[in-house]
Amino acid sequence: MGLAAIAAGGVSPAAAHAAIDVPVEKTTLANGLTVLVHEDRRLPVVSLYIFFHAGSRNERPGITGISHLFEHMMFNGGAHTEGKFDEIIEGNGGSTNGYTTRDFTVYLESFPPPALERVLWLEADRMRALAITEKNLEQERGIVKEERRLRTDDDPDGTLYEQVYLTAYNASTYRWGPIGFMADIGAITLDEAKRYFRTYYAPNNATVVLAGAVSPREGFALVEKYFGDIAAQAPPEKVVNIEPPQNGPKLVEYHKAAELPAVAIAYKAVNARHPDRPALDVLQTILGYGQSSRLHRAVVRQKELASGVGVSFNWGIDPELFWFLAQAQPGKSARAVAQAIEAEVARLREHAPDARELRKAKNLLQADYVRGLTSISGKANQLGFYEVVFGDYREMFKEMERVEAVTADDVQRVARTYLVANERTTIELVPEKPQAGALPRPALPPSAAVPQTPGVMR
Amino acid sequence: MTRRSRSFFCGTVAALAGAAAVGCTHPGAFFAASRSEPPPIGPPAAAVAMPQVTERVLANGLTVLVAEYHELPIMRFSLLLPGGAAYDPAGREGVAELTADLLDQGTTRRGAEELAREVEFLGGRIGADAGTDFSTVTGEFLSKDFAAGLDLFSDVVLRPAFRADELRRMRRLRLADIISSRDNPAAVADGCYARWLYGGHPYGHLPQGTEASVRRLGDADVREFYARYYVPERAVLVVIGDASTAAMLAKVEDAFGGWKRGGMPLATPSAPARVSGRRILLVDKPDATQTHIRIGNVAIARTDPSYVAANVTSTILGGGFGSRLIDELRVKRSLTYGAWSGFVARKEPGDFRVGTFTKVETTGEALRVALDVLADFAARGATAAELARARSLLTGQFPKQLETPGAIAGKLAELAGYGLPRSDLEAYPARVAATSLADVAHLAQRWVPTVDAAIVVVGPAAVIAPQLAAFGEIERTTPAGCEGPQAPSAAGP
Repeated sequence: MGLAAIAAGGVSPAAAHAAIDVPVEKTTLANGLTVLVHEDRRLPVVSLYIFFHAGSRNERPGITGISHLFEHMMFNGGAHTEGKFDEIIEGNGGSTNGYTTRDFTVYLESFPPPALERVLWLEADRMRALAITEKNLEQERGIVKEERRLRTDDDPDGTLYEQVYLTAYNASTYRWGPIGFMADIGAITLDEAKRYFRTYYAPNNATVVLAGAVSPREGFALVEKYFGDIAAQAPPEKVVNIEPPQNGPKLVEYHKAAELPAVAIAYKAVNARHPDRPALDVLQTILGYGQSSRLHRAVVRQKELASGVGVSFNWGIDPELFWFLAQAQPGKSARAVAQAIEAEVARLREHAPDARELRKAKNLLQADYVRGLTSISGKANQLGFYEVVFGDYREMFKEMERVEAVTADDVQRVARTYLVANERTTIELVPEKPQAGALPRPALPPSAAVPQTPGVMR
Repeated sequence: MTRRSRSFFCGTVAALAGAAAVGCTHPGAFFAASRSEPPPIGPPAAAVAMPQVTERVLANGLTVLVAEYHELPIMRFSLLLPGGAAYDPAGREGVAELTADLLDQGTTRRGAEELAREVEFLGGRIGADAGTDFSTVTGEFLSKDFAAGLDLFSDVVLRPAFRADELRRMRRLRLADIISSRDNPAAVADGCYARWLYGGHPYGHLPQGTEASVRRLGDADVREFYARYYVPERAVLVVIGDASTAAMLAKVEDAFGGWKRGGMPLATPSAPARVSGRRILLVDKPDATQTHIRIGNVAIARTDPSYVAANVTSTILGGGFGSRLIDELRVKRSLTYGAWSGFVARKEPGDFRVGTFTKVETTGEALRVALDVLADFAARGATAAELARARSLLTGQFPKQLETPGAIAGKLAELAGYGLPRSDLEAYPARVAATSLADVAHLAQRWVPTVDAAIVVVGPAAVIAPQLAAFGEIERTTPAGCEGPQAPSAAGP
């Protein structure tokens, strides 16, 4: 099919999302708490997402992982609900969880509408006066260590994920992940936990999102009723995450028990609000989305070097990494995989993509946008994300126009600007075969999550 | 949790909420109670609307289920085929999955790369996967691309080319996955558990197959599997989307009406045998810092009348954060990050299983606590509060099972595939609510593994074995040793 046929293909891709209405109302309480309500009555379900504007970027060496450890502490409940949080939520038909990223911490519930007031009461109780006790801290410390072993220490991909950030960044607090280092998880004190709560768990540092079978009027009134008298605190210290230039590629071998070699290659990119970010999203899609992507075709299919190549580019408050993760096929080396990935990156630096490939990438991103609206909880999560990371939920509705505006030259330009050798970090996972019956080595170094979900669940 | 009277729900908030009919008998108590006492539960919500399904059986025997969905401009196709990994011939384990993986690697009309480009140009997705009882092919497109999407989807289902180079390439990828999955202790535990519990029964291997069996798979194996199981007469096609029922039925008939019947008889696996006594398998993973544990035994089929009550029972033991396993293993002792239980119900009786993991040093303690929890639950059943939590959780979360086109299509296909009536969907909340303490006690006593249990423990054997000595006789193997005909089995050959 040529370009003319594409243009004549009926409704333009942009039209599919433009017609979708996501009505939102926003208010800010006197204590600084931001409240968003999106009413959608298709199901008897309400989703509540509370974002605290604190994640692992707000940490420092010695207390890495405290945001996520704290997220766990929150499920022990507040002054009137200590030890009863899950029982009350689930006993009223709700499900609950939380997750922590580099930028923020989220608490989420999804429940039948009759439980709305009770869930808000529960959330306000723990925001007002969390039960921060030695017993609760020790309990969650042990659980979080198990989470770290699961996601990072015993998982080659999780290990590479941790190592690539640690190696790529020198200054940015993005260098450690939300799970934190094992030793820090073990060392965080009760006083640190209490200070963390006072600093970050204040209404002026939080955003509440209600979505589903709830009207803005009802939502605003109930949030005011339960959260309105929680005192504001002094705003937290600003985080400065400006990375000095790298001025030369880094190559690290990481030795670990594993069946197959793997490689992670990272470049330092931009933050979510940067004007080049949409072009990098398109670049990511061209390189790594689906079986027609360049990396799948070249590295998996034609050269048969890797069993898969993932491309990750998270939208951060601070500049994030644009990075690749690939596992070698049996008998193939991490080095060969890395060279094949680099060859495809170089090709994009040298030649802009053609119109059809650009259109395909935009269509994929726009269809994903529509899919992202299929669940009420998904919409609540996205609205909160835009409010926290972009500073305004309405940025969500401009996203498809930003994608549409990206040109083929933009894609080539960002490839030339950011995907450059002097800013590259490569980690090769060198598999070691452990001896059967041997004693395990002491726990390996730190942190955690799957590349596609830039956070750790509760 | 007892439901409080609605009488606290009053004043301005009640008016704002439009709850004008709600009384206000304790206005004074309202604000005083608002901090320390839970506020009332609001008036009951409307029941979730059931999808309005139209069913057609085409002349070739294909069952077509269609439902309109107008929330978003999306079309979803979900095809359920009557053979999954349980139908892999002996020694050819993995063929159902390899067949599914090859569907979109080229058709007689389009090469693999052309196909991928066309699907992705539309922002669409096509995926195929082998489960245990069934294989599934799914597709999702924007509704404006309904015709083009259905053309691609039907091409993949009806005209896969199974080209030799694609088969060779895909087999390499499947082998890479099998090998690298030995790095994943949870995957090792699941694979070893299937083999340990079911032995040589068709449920005794994962859909991925084994390194040895996948190496053997050739063109004839794939074509034979396709000819036998990718046939219309036992398949179910669900179409959910932003289009009219008439249009969806007409287009599906156009695309699939010419699909030829297969006509070969469908072999059905026999019922698997239960494991007798406590049978422990230790899988050595010397580098692991954590031990993964599975405990289970053969239990019920998906069509068992007690299926819903069994899920209520399992939710009490190991579902959600308020479950007994989470309380004992995670909250009280910090032994784990996760602990769960579930009925894996299939055409023939599947199993009831429990899973958790812990640092290697506390392997014995975690296994002891888990076994104690199981023994206590089997002997004494649940409390009224535990039952109330499980019932509320399952009914409260039920609407989300019908939220997206993919979720609706999956539910409809599952019911049709197991020959269950669609009315099961609507009846679900009432069945959950009708589950009694006596039902739970009975099901826990019957199915929660205590004396008879297949147990798999994956971790560094040198550290773990001494901790397991008190639990009985132990058989040992390695992650790769769980594969193949020589693999240890508690169930016998």
